Amino acid sequence: MNAYEEPKTMTRVKEQPPRQEITITGFGGQGIVLAGRILGKAAVLGDHKQSTLVQSYGPEARGGACSAQVIISEGPIHYPYVRHPDILVSMSQTGFDKFIDQLKEGGTLLIDQDLVQPQSIEGDFFSIPSTRIAEELGRKMMANIIMLGFFTAITGAVSVKAARDSVVSSVPKGTEEMNSKAFNKGYDYAVALLKGREKKAKGRAGA
Amino acid sequence: MGMGRGLKGLMKKGHGDMADFSIILFLCNWGPHAAFQALQDSATQIPPEIKMVRIPCSGRISKALLFKPFEMGADGVAMVGCETGTCRYATGSSTAQKNVEHTRAILHLLGLGEDRLRLKTFMPEDSEPLLQFLRGFCDEIKAIGKSPVVPSPEAEPPSQALELTKEVVAAHDIYACQDCGKCSSACSLTLVGKPFSPRAIASNIISGNIDSADVEKDIWSCLACGLCYDRCPSAVNFPEFIKDMRYILKKDGSRGYLAHGGFFQSLMRTMTPKDLKVNHWDWLPDDIQVDPQSKTLFFGGCAPYFDIFFKGFLGVQTSDILVDSLKLLNFFDIFPLLLEDERCCGHDLLWSGDKENFLKLARLNVDAIHRLGVEELITACPECYRAYTHDYPQQGVKVNFKVTHIFDLLEGEISKGAVGFKPFDRRLTFQDPCRLSRLENRPELPRRLISRLKPIEFNEMQDRGGGAICCGNSAWTGCDSYSKALQVKRIRQAHSTGSDLLVTACPKCQIHLQCAMEDPFLGEELNMDMMDLTSVLAKTINWE
Ligand code: SF4
Ligand code: SF4
Ligand code: SF4
Repeated sequence: MNAYEEPKTMTRVKEQPPRQEITITGFGGQGIVLAGRILGKAAVLGDHKQSTLVQSYGPEARGGACSAQVIISEGPIHYPYVRHPDILVSMSQTGFDKFIDQLKEGGTLLIDQDLVQPQSIEGDFFSIPSTRIAEELGRKMMANIIMLGFFTAITGAVSVKAARDSVVSSVPKGTEEMNSKAFNKGYDYAVALLKGREKKAKGRAGA
Repeated sequence: MGMGRGLKGLMKKGHGDMADFSIILFLCNWGPHAAFQALQDSATQIPPEIKMVRIPCSGRISKALLFKPFEMGADGVAMVGCETGTCRYATGSSTAQKNVEHTRAILHLLGLGEDRLRLKTFMPEDSEPLLQFLRGFCDEIKAIGKSPVVPSPEAEPPSQALELTKEVVAAHDIYACQDCGKCSSACSLTLVGKPFSPRAIASNIISGNIDSADVEKDIWSCLACGLCYDRCPSAVNFPEFIKDMRYILKKDGSRGYLAHGGFFQSLMRTMTPKDLKVNHWDWLPDDIQVDPQSKTLFFGGCAPYFDIFFKGFLGVQTSDILVDSLKLLNFFDIFPLLLEDERCCGHDLLWSGDKENFLKLARLNVDAIHRLGVEELITACPECYRAYTHDYPQQGVKVNFKVTHIFDLLEGEISKGAVGFKPFDRRLTFQDPCRLSRLENRPELPRRLISRLKPIEFNEMQDRGGGAICCGNSAWTGCDSYSKALQVKRIRQAHSTGSDLLVTACPKCQIHLQCAMEDPFLGEELNMDMMDLTSVLAKTINWE
């Protein structure tokens, strides 16, 4: 396994609510459902919580909007569908347009910077050029794993170790290291982003 | 530097009753000497610690000469001249004032203390005040105490230079030279018209001609840039060969062709006493955050000394590189440790043939760093980087910590994301630092950072990367009119890119190139702003 060290600063240790509902959206081929599965596995196998996954390919399946609904909970989950997610992850504009109204008030929004224009929304959101970074790493299809790293650092809904282990055990044999690297990229990006926000808030955007 | 030899005699003569202290008095031949003579004529007791050196004018005592006694173990130096306005040569007194002021600032940084050097002026009839001054200065120096500097031993008796040369020739396999001439066609010095040829040096040395003055001079002229080694089909490592030859020549009594009267070599040697309490960092601006508990050390290098030395002349501000590096580290929440008594890495001593003192500096630095439990050393100076990663281990000084060039660290941090750069309203070109771009073979590293910037444009010079033209000097040796010619050629290349800012990545590149821009005839044509890459980064980096 990759001997990646946790950054010493700015790891988010946030009190997690007992139950979180997450919707991940994008278009077919981006690995949206895989991302949902990795997330659920991380919560169950790594963090010893309970989790459900509902995947939906709309009628416009191939290349159209698709989504994964994940619930992570400390207690039993009686109803697996997500109606008002606490966290919405959007990797496509159609996915965003379709689900943004469902996001809970005060919920967390994560988007791919280049693929989603978050118009007409109020409040804060977190964006990462995950597809661009994946292209720089040489594999566009790893954007979902980068997004997972980003998600993990920003939300803390799953622990880093659980998430990374889950990535490694879910991707095809032989690609573990690459995916682990992709995960770290997303994670580091989030840490840098949070650090930058903190600095900006203190009025220190430059060196 | 006949002065050095004369001083040595003087400082030894004092071995008598009070002989523990040595104070050198530089005494101008005109006004104050008359006052001094009156004291001698009346058999007045002048403190025996005072060793007088009669000089033609206080303005003729360069910083190198003012400093030399300290390298040789003097406890104090008094420069006694004429008042401004009474100087026989008009400008002598004001020159002396500047030289003393700068040398005092250097003594402060160095930890010897500026009070060990004093400037005073006296009129011919001032013998009584002169005597009072000398007695008072003597008492002050005794109150400060002995200098911790122990003079380095005399050059060893003319040795088995020939024997040693044979070994060096064999070790570097100079016999493999096929006399093809590729080196000469690559050598920057040959290309600017200097009657200088690496293969001719090689063949002269092989045939045992090391005593010839021309060969000696050539050995001190080489820039050790390694361009010839790059091209040589027989892989004759010329720079390493030159390094070893300088060592032999130095042992054999060659004083080298040192720039600035050997000031920088003196300075480096004066840093070798263990008990010296160097003040390397006390000038640092308050807003820089450091952490004495950190396991990451920032090693600054000698830029603060350069800035003082060249103050009135070049006006360079190379310590900005240190400040901006630290600002960049702080930007990424890295709060490094600083070595209060940081000494020169010794790179240039090694390349001036002084292996013994190089090793002393290397050990002092490395021991101090080990004691602090440092895990990683970061530096922005390509020569310090080269010394720690290459020269120290090669010369047997073990380094138990990771050494990182700041460009590597920044590239890593920036590529994590969320960092951008503000538009920078300049047209850039880049001067490669030889230690990083050629010797370490990493020309792509600074360029990756440059490609992240947002200037109006960035244009490369005709010769670039590993094949770039040198800034004209290396290790403060062998600077001559051909060095100047080389710099002129380089700066013209920079201008022909249409750029208005020459970005550098080594304090020395800035110093030597600026020197050419001071030329009274060509200066105006050559003039071009320069800024270190760390400063450009620090000015424009921004959280997105
Ligand atoms: S390039 Fe190498 S082989 Fe050719 S002349 Fe120079 S040193 Fe000799
Ligand atoms: S090292 Fe550079 S300056 Fe020296 S001989 Fe070779 S090319 Fe010329
Ligand atoms: S180029 Fe100028 S600054 Fe550099 S060594 Fe020569 S004289 Fe000194």
